[in-house]
Amino acid sequence: MMRTIEVFLVIVIITGAFIIASFYAVLPVPRRVSPLNLRRLALTTLQVLDADYSLSEIVFKNPEDPDYESSWKQLQVALSALLPPNIVYNMSVYIVRKEGGEELYTPLRFISNAESLGIQSEAASYLVASSNVTFRVVPQKIGDVGGVGGTLYILNCSDARGWWITGYTAHTLAQDLYNLLSPYFQKTIMVQNTTQLAKILNGTSLQGETVQGAVIINTFGEAVPIPSGYYATQGYDPQAQSYAKYCHILGQKVRTYNFTWVSIVGYPLYYVSNINLFPNNHNTWGIYGMRHVGPPGLNAFLRGLDGKSYSYNDNWITSNVGDAQLSSEAIYHCNYYGIYPYPRQTATRALSASILTTYNLPESRVVYIFNKVYRNNNWWIPGAVFRHVAAGDNKVTGSFFALGLTRTPDIRLTALGLLCAFRPRLYRSVYTATDATRLVVLQLGQVGGV
Amino acid sequence: MTGSTIDHLVAMTVFLGAILIFIGLFNQTIQTAILYQRNKYLATKCSDILDNILLNPGTTYNIDNKTVEWGRLDVIPAIFGLQDPEFKQYRLSPFSLMRLESSLGEPVYYPGTRQWYSNITMGFGNFLLVSSAKALNYSTVTKLLGVNNTYGFQLTILPIISITIEETRAGSPLTINVKVTGMGFPLAHANVSYCLIRVVKDQGEYPKYRTITGNSYTDETGSASLPPFDVTPQESYALIVYARAGGLVGVGYHQRVTEDKRYIIPFVESFEKGLVILTHSYDVHYFGPPESAVFYNATFLQLSEDFTIREVENYKGRIGKVNYGHSIKFEYDNITLPLEPGILVITYKSNNEYGVVLMPWGICSLAFPVVFGEDLMGKTWVATDIRQVLVGKIAYQAKLALWSLEGYQVIG
Repeated sequence: MMRTIEVFLVIVIITGAFIIASFYAVLPVPRRVSPLNLRRLALTTLQVLDADYSLSEIVFKNPEDPDYESSWKQLQVALSALLPPNIVYNMSVYIVRKEGGEELYTPLRFISNAESLGIQSEAASYLVASSNVTFRVVPQKIGDVGGVGGTLYILNCSDARGWWITGYTAHTLAQDLYNLLSPYFQKTIMVQNTTQLAKILNGTSLQGETVQGAVIINTFGEAVPIPSGYYATQGYDPQAQSYAKYCHILGQKVRTYNFTWVSIVGYPLYYVSNINLFPNNHNTWGIYGMRHVGPPGLNAFLRGLDGKSYSYNDNWITSNVGDAQLSSEAIYHCNYYGIYPYPRQTATRALSASILTTYNLPESRVVYIFNKVYRNNNWWIPGAVFRHVAAGDNKVTGSFFALGLTRTPDIRLTALGLLCAFRPRLYRSVYTATDATRLVVLQLGQVGGV
Repeated sequence: MTGSTIDHLVAMTVFLGAILIFIGLFNQTIQTAILYQRNKYLATKCSDILDNILLNPGTTYNIDNKTVEWGRLDVIPAIFGLQDPEFKQYRLSPFSLMRLESSLGEPVYYPGTRQWYSNITMGFGNFLLVSSAKALNYSTVTKLLGVNNTYGFQLTILPIISITIEETRAGSPLTINVKVTGMGFPLAHANVSYCLIRVVKDQGEYPKYRTITGNSYTDETGSASLPPFDVTPQESYALIVYARAGGLVGVGYHQRVTEDKRYIIPFVESFEKGLVILTHSYDVHYFGPPESAVFYNATFLQLSEDFTIREVENYKGRIGKVNYGHSIKFEYDNITLPLEPGILVITYKSNNEYGVVLMPWGICSLAFPVVFGEDLMGKTWVATDIRQVLVGKIAYQAKLALWSLEGYQVIG
């Protein structure tokens, strides 16, 4: 009997233990088991409100501004519209001041849609900067993305002469281009003479830079510097008595080294120039040190770019289309990079769109700086960056940027075109300034349900 | 001695019985606690997967020195994510979202290309039909996310701002009321920009159109009456409205057509090439004779920085004609769109009846919703989490519902 009593005592003890354990081991309500991540919701809400800097603008508004109160109401409306009906919020804005090396947070304003946020709430904080704060802009270097290229060569050859750069010299244009574009490239090199040009075309670096994928800007307008020696002898077509073959070699080099060849004005490669090589020749307009090539130069260049063999073709492939309008993409990049050339230009040497199919320059890869123009049953391209992609391939093998505008060249268009093509980012960083930062804290709670 | 033995036997029997009962009771409590732990883990997993989807662009490619996400190309990504690589934080790619196979509408078969198309159709004339060959299906995405056979999910991305457009007078003049609301509140004092595309009735072979743009503001209740339009009750038109307030932007649309049998249906064929094919509606849904040709005029519109809607040079006024294929030879036209978001507006004419259809190019252009994944019906213990996101300039709410496929029971 004693044992039975003992067992019953044990049962009583275990029952007591179970009751006590059950009393303390309360299972949480489903909302706690599977909670909404209110902290993330609060953060993303603040980010959406500040996507176009509306939040920053409101929290920095001057209290004496006539629409000060209405702006805060607008913010509350937006906040209420943004959050689901079962979410209550409390938004607090603090002025951040630095005093004696310590940060001081002074409350500025509170917005709330409920007296209490319930038993459980989460908060996210977000720092906004005043629009009065000065920013430092650091451009991304071309070549950082993909690791190809990053070198800019500006032809500034002292032994060549230009044409259709009226009012400028190649040297002044080169200097301006250097100032505009060098921040965006890993290395910018002024090519001082045709000997240096020959080195680049041979794939030899001048100052330890990467030759592959470089950009070469020809600042000589319709003329192109020609090095003596190999390029002058191999580039001469004795049958046609023309240096169009040099342009064909240029095209081949652009393809081999994946260069981007830039023609800043007029008909590309219309003359070749070297004052030592042609001391007694002029371009038929009285400029000595130059030989006329004409349309065969560009035709040969494009054949070389496309890997086709040389042939002499004197078909004129440009047209005078008159007014050309900057493309929407170029206008967008004008704002992004802060370069504002006049949006309407006169294009007397717009290239025929037929070159896209003839020379494997796929339209999907073309970056239009000016809109295409339809004239005389044909499309004409006043300014664009053409990228060569060999048939059956997907890789770019050489690019050609031609601005078929009339003289005088606006080198801002050249800079804009290259930036449109390479799209280096601008990293903006903020300088700290007094009272330039405000802290916004959004606290969210959930009501209703379990 | 006998009494003692009986006492032992009774005590032992009672003790063993009691122990078994207590083991059962404690086990039930422990089981419930473990289950709750698993459900808590499911909620954490839900939050993680949602962030993983929204904060990761997936596979990206370097094309012409620009980082391009998989959504803009016709490739199957090796990594899944929806973030726009041009931006940080919760900003999604309008093209990657377009490439998700929609759970909203029934897929459409077009015999001309012998392909099925994923279907997001928001009423007549607002189509988004994407080639299933280019769309990512649920099974592929679960594998890319590494949750196949372990978790099921449904991803819903809904616009936060809802814009309702109502005709208060049918024409001469046409008057329209716009109502703008958010998730839980009307959007008072919102700036409303609109673009009315009126299809012009004339003797020309191809339908012409005129655009009327303007601005207005909503009142305290989120309503705005637009100025009267010179449109007769017999004319067709489309109205696109953008509303913005305190950083929030939403878009709404409305059409009225006089011909809703013979019209143009656009199908997205290639993202990489921006290729859209324009087909005769009878080749998709046969309504019976007459089967006249449809003449169209297609234009691509974009939202500019100042929230005005403008035509895009080189992509406007594409005219053409498509015939009904009589189930033998299907005829369609191709048009190419730029790789930037916008709206394809196609005005059409058939037998002197007119109409207009819209197609968003990039999901945000007309604030189309995205519902991707399995149906929630019948699923037990579904964990959900939400984030506010931006697609283009439009504010959306992304919601992920996640459940386990490992057969947990639900208690409590």
